[in-house]
Amino acid sequence: MTEAPLRNIGRPDRRIDAGEKVSGRAVYTTDIDLPGMLHAKVLRSPHGHARIVSIDASAARAMPGVHAVLTRDETAAIPMPVYGYFIKDQPIVATDKVRYEGDIVAAVAAEDEGTANRALAAIRVEYEPQPVVTDLERASDPDAAELFEEPPVGIVPKYGQGASGELRPRRNVCYRFSYETGPADAFDECDHVFEDVFRFSRMHHFHLEPFVCVADWSRKDRIELWTSCQNPFPLRKEIARIFGLAENRIAVRVPYIGGGFGSKNGCKTEPVALALSRLAGRPVRFCLTLEEGFLTNTQHAAILKVKTGVMQDGMLVARKSEILLDSGAYSDGSPLVAEKAGYRIPGPYRYRRIETDCYCVMTNTAPAGPFRGFGGTQTSWACESQIDMIAHRLGIDPYDMRRKNLIDLGEPFVPGESGMDSDLRAGLDLVVRELGYRRRGGLEDDGPVKRGMGLAIGFKDGGGVNKPALARVKVSTGGDIFLQCGTAEIGQGAHTALSAVVAERLGADRSRVRYMPVDTDHTPFDQGTNASSAISVMGQAVDRAALAARAQILDFAAGVLDCPAEELDLADWEIRRGNEAHPLAPMIMGHFGGTGWEFVGEGFHKAENSHAAPLEAPCVFWEIGWGGAQVAVDTETGLVTVEKLFVTGDAGRAIHPLVCRGQDEGAALMGLSQALFERMIYDGSRLVNGDALTYRVPLADDLPEDFRSVTQEQGHGPGPFGAKGMGEGGMLPVASAIANAIHDAVGVRITELPLSPERVLAALAAKDGG
Amino acid sequence: MPDRLDPRFDLSFTLNGAPVETATTTATALADLLREGCGGRGTRLACERAVCGACTVLVDGVPRASCSVFAFEVEGCAVQMIEGLENDGELSPVQAAFADNSAFQCGYCTAGMILLTEALLARDPDPDEAAIRDWISSNICRCTGYSLILEAVRDAARRKRETAP
Ligand code: FES
Ligand code: FES
Repeated sequence: MTEAPLRNIGRPDRRIDAGEKVSGRAVYTTDIDLPGMLHAKVLRSPHGHARIVSIDASAARAMPGVHAVLTRDETAAIPMPVYGYFIKDQPIVATDKVRYEGDIVAAVAAEDEGTANRALAAIRVEYEPQPVVTDLERASDPDAAELFEEPPVGIVPKYGQGASGELRPRRNVCYRFSYETGPADAFDECDHVFEDVFRFSRMHHFHLEPFVCVADWSRKDRIELWTSCQNPFPLRKEIARIFGLAENRIAVRVPYIGGGFGSKNGCKTEPVALALSRLAGRPVRFCLTLEEGFLTNTQHAAILKVKTGVMQDGMLVARKSEILLDSGAYSDGSPLVAEKAGYRIPGPYRYRRIETDCYCVMTNTAPAGPFRGFGGTQTSWACESQIDMIAHRLGIDPYDMRRKNLIDLGEPFVPGESGMDSDLRAGLDLVVRELGYRRRGGLEDDGPVKRGMGLAIGFKDGGGVNKPALARVKVSTGGDIFLQCGTAEIGQGAHTALSAVVAERLGADRSRVRYMPVDTDHTPFDQGTNASSAISVMGQAVDRAALAARAQILDFAAGVLDCPAEELDLADWEIRRGNEAHPLAPMIMGHFGGTGWEFVGEGFHKAENSHAAPLEAPCVFWEIGWGGAQVAVDTETGLVTVEKLFVTGDAGRAIHPLVCRGQDEGAALMGLSQALFERMIYDGSRLVNGDALTYRVPLADDLPEDFRSVTQEQGHGPGPFGAKGMGEGGMLPVASAIANAIHDAVGVRITELPLSPERVLAALAAKDGG
Repeated sequence: MPDRLDPRFDLSFTLNGAPVETATTTATALADLLREGCGGRGTRLACERAVCGACTVLVDGVPRASCSVFAFEVEGCAVQMIEGLENDGELSPVQAAFADNSAFQCGYCTAGMILLTEALLARDPDPDEAAIRDWISSNICRCTGYSLILEAVRDAARRKRETAP
């Protein structure tokens, strides 16, 4: 490799999508328009739980402008009309029952959305309402109604040391994940055992681009699908399974995605649009409204019961946890989230004993699925709140308590796991410095307004499990570089970062690289754009592909120049040999003639499987979000003002510093709004704030007066140039840091999100009363 | 998409400085007219409830949520959308500032944020921090955490002042 300074890595130059995005030319799925395209709309259940007695769609079918109507009568002819990750339980349209308000009952494809909506209004459905299940803690009571009387088809993946899973372990629970390690009697040796319960609220992703696809199945043996989906290859596989088609008959194309935050994976709009397109024999566009987005995928509300055994000096010994995840009406990604929540609940600390059970509880609410943090947000909230609580109970400063127990750099999190790849204490000390962290009582109060500071460390295993990634780099005669890989550009800047890696390896400017459109017909296989894996997993495949292309180019030149390849270097599409420069284009034309040649490098990456690792593969990298907050609590109104918020992540190596910064800050603001106000409010099975006007997301004036982030580059990542993934870590520490700061300010502990004025006042009143 | 129940009538306005003569219906939103008919697809629809501002265009210089403005309301008005900001293929100073500061991620809010900034700077070439936050708070960005957008607005103001005649 060249010793020259890097020309593409670590530079904050314009992202490769900047020109298209600031000019309005960027193409999203919402912009796709095909000749003869119809528009789909769906009829949704007004009941939280009901049997469907009858559906009469005859009037809708007869309406002018209506080209297809989809009900359970039509889906009966589809080979496998259900989907889901581990458990195939979600029907394309409802069959025997509806299980949440918003469940899809019927769909129409018409000349325009207005006609489709009028046709839906003409469909008569007779329901027989059933009792609803909405309480996580009572869902398994013997008298609770059952969402699924019959077990849906499902699998439990293979786990490694200490981990296990189970389908339907009890009533209305679709999945359990458990993990244990260490001696079972470890609690006996503890000086203290503390048990606390934490409640976590539920948010919607609120991606601005709606769930949308354009499906063309007008020819019987060919599907073309444009979709706002971050996992095109798994989607292709699922569609092939559902409709009984060969995968090489299905092309999934992913233009720019207008945000997802976890939601845009797996089947969402696609099965309905495809089924309608087949019936109508025309392309169908199916674009949900933002309101429908709330009914399509959400974060998991949770109850986390955490029991921690500790020595008098603050040394952690054992942690036993039980987590209930509100999975909503269908399993979606819940079992995967359960694995991660169950695995991450100990936090980045050293224990002798860990024991966790995590349950996916089905309720008559919208299906929950992957959400930025993927279970880690829930567990960081509980873990980092409890660490502070224990510190206070023992009379230890929370900073010292953390420092004493953090895993060392290189130390495995649990047996069989990969070593910690960040210096956790260095990150914590950075927060302390940047925040000006002072121990209790060090801040000035303002009459009834009291100030306090809190720290937290969010933690998750990043990079995903079982994620084989392939990439291809082609270089033309003139030195134009084509990068083909399946990572979707969902806003995270992956196309920019991956292109920079390729350019660097080929001694070119990044502007020479074109990131080719993601199309499953041409793009090499990839498991999906998720789990902060773009740079850490795909990045390794891309890096290898670029190095393979480079090696081919040097070998070719070595043959032409009749010298060993080791003597040669590649820069600006010239072969450098000592002081000589040999332009490649004439060399290639001279050798291949005609129109020239393309060098093609392939790269592959997959983490080694290991049964010693609990999740069957050691974690790719550890994604850490350190955070600190200073709050002012108005003891008269209960209002919490976050005066300072500081977050820091470890990029390993920041391929593009502004992209890294944007990831951490965007994530941190999501954490802030979840801490203070943002949540989906359910009244029984009814979502009462599922629209843009009543569901509050943060605006620019919600930013704390002092809001900063620092991207550390500790250099231990597995990705190219030592990079690690980003994008989720910044969210993880925020809620608990704020709750810890509130405790520091006014001595009350709030264990339920959001940290609203009502809750603060109630806690203050309880404290004064007690 | 024209609604069959709603007859069409003529509409004229200027779009990005050029006159437009078209036909529309009473039920057509300005955003749909621009996206489907005459403008290009840079105007993005998200909430369609006049909340998020993704669909912002300037009507006689005023930022409006085009999802919630009827097309007929712009009769005789000057409408400016994102596609009209470039000058001979050159990004406007505001666009360039957004590009250089990476003040976007998914890009879905970006057209609206840029037009909002254009309107702010047309009114106040040197806005203070409070004014910037206040203006940017009329639109939603779910991705960036706003900091980089605020920096881009400050940078855009600087660039415009420096290049002002
Ligand atoms: S789409 Fe118009 S304001 Fe949200
Ligand atoms: S960049 Fe995605 S919403 Fe602003």
